[in-house]
Amino acid sequence: MLFFLLSFLITDLAARTIKVGAKENVREIKEAIGLAKTNDTIQVGPGTYREGNIILEKAIVLIGIGFPVLDGEDKYEIFTIHANQVGIHGFQFINTGIASINDLAAIKVLDSKGLWITDNKFKNTFFGIYFANSSQSWIENNELESDAEAEHQIGNGIHLWKCEHITIHNNRVKGHRDGIYFEFVTNSLITNNYSEGNMRYGLHFMFSHNDEYRNNTFINNGAGVAVMYTKGVKMIDNIFKHNWGSSAYGLLLKDIRDSFVSGNRFDQNSVGIFMEGSSRIEFKENTFTANGYAVKLQASCDDNTFVRNNFQANTFDLVTNGSLVLNKIVSNYWDKYEGYDLNHDAVGDVPYRPVSMYGMLVERMPTAVLLWRSFLVFLMDRAEKAMPVITPENLKDDSPSMKPYDFIQKHK
Amino acid sequence: MKTFFSLLLITAFLTSCSVKPEPLNYGKDFCHSCKMTLMDHKFGSEIVTKKGKVYKFDDVNCMIGFCKSGSEPEDNVAHYLIVDFSRPGELIDAKTARYIRSDAVRSPMASQVAAFSPTENLDSRMKEWNGQVMTWDELFNQFQ
Repeated sequence: MLFFLLSFLITDLAARTIKVGAKENVREIKEAIGLAKTNDTIQVGPGTYREGNIILEKAIVLIGIGFPVLDGEDKYEIFTIHANQVGIHGFQFINTGIASINDLAAIKVLDSKGLWITDNKFKNTFFGIYFANSSQSWIENNELESDAEAEHQIGNGIHLWKCEHITIHNNRVKGHRDGIYFEFVTNSLITNNYSEGNMRYGLHFMFSHNDEYRNNTFINNGAGVAVMYTKGVKMIDNIFKHNWGSSAYGLLLKDIRDSFVSGNRFDQNSVGIFMEGSSRIEFKENTFTANGYAVKLQASCDDNTFVRNNFQANTFDLVTNGSLVLNKIVSNYWDKYEGYDLNHDAVGDVPYRPVSMYGMLVERMPTAVLLWRSFLVFLMDRAEKAMPVITPENLKDDSPSMKPYDFIQKHK
Repeated sequence: MKTFFSLLLITAFLTSCSVKPEPLNYGKDFCHSCKMTLMDHKFGSEIVTKKGKVYKFDDVNCMIGFCKSGSEPEDNVAHYLIVDFSRPGELIDAKTARYIRSDAVRSPMASQVAAFSPTENLDSRMKEWNGQVMTWDELFNQFQ
């Protein structure tokens, strides 16, 4: 940010700074924008500003000193930006209007390039930051929080539609519909964000190719994280935690191709990963702990690889709804593995079958879960292990690891 | 106690057999095709089979995709329903509804289609959105 401001000062010495505040000559942001020329800076002092919808069509930088409050009075969209090279820094946005047809936002950016939206706070805004048809921008260090109760009273925290080359870094989003929403967004980066307690998804991806998300935390969201109808996504070192509910998933993968899922932690989700219609994905060095189901792999998935993952304390490690399985499962650690290692090479000598018969049964007949941990189920599982009848014969890990892999240094 | 359980059974039996549309429970129900939780009250659709089974969808293309998958042939279906864009959350008959397809319509699964009751005057919507008015059959052929 500093560099950005400095470069402005150096490249254009003619640029002015206009001060806005109760004690300044200019009392209103709108007035300052009217006075400003390209590359000027507007410095807004502390206070509450109620100016309705502010339209910005000039390349200027707005800096809030002491978090001045921009109040939408439950009626207005606050900033509507249609200009390249705009910076919005250090403001607090509250109470935008709520509308069912128009997506009112605290900051809406249309058809623009080169924006910096950094270090702002958003409280009870319908949509927080909304980008449409824009590119080459940074959304960093913002805090968004909403306490709406019903799903139609709230939009997405950070919402991107038809964008490319956007960096979303170190934001916190809480209580929105989807924390971060991507539709037709390509070549973008989502790093170090914290998305908690959103009504639907912590992160929602649709038709968004070649994006990467790394080091994010998704916790306690209504239905976890959804990545859908997309190819070439990298999901690395994220934490998916405590997404509970009948249709909640740590990570929902639907129609995904050619992607890479590595170093993630799935803790205490109803379903760690739910996959449907997905292929050519590599799952490497992830940890699944204390989930209801670690992985639900629908028969419509093929050519996926699970390698060197840790499966610990999950009720079911893997379930599938078909008998033909065209996925590769190698060298994972399974805490339920009961084999032996006579040659001491840390690799189990007999294959492990992660799909239990009872898991298959529950998948077909959810009410059968009543019998969980009964003696009957124990007997059936044993018999099935000896002579597989309904579990897919070729779904097995031929080289299960005897010890869990240590990925701890990766997750600080 | 016994009578209570038998009553419970009977009610469960009776309710499961009625061929009635079920209101969409936004925030709780999820789309049968794309698995997304239903959120936007302006969109959503439902198929009720003659046996009383209900399938819910978040967008019209998810419903059409399901119809074309062949898992519930048309002969089995009692109702095709869709949410009226002008009256959020309210289900109307999908086959007689009229549809507008326009880039300006941001539906959950990018179908860009909004549904309206056949009696509604669509002139002002068309002026605003500059889209294309369609019937169910025309729409059905547009999606896979």
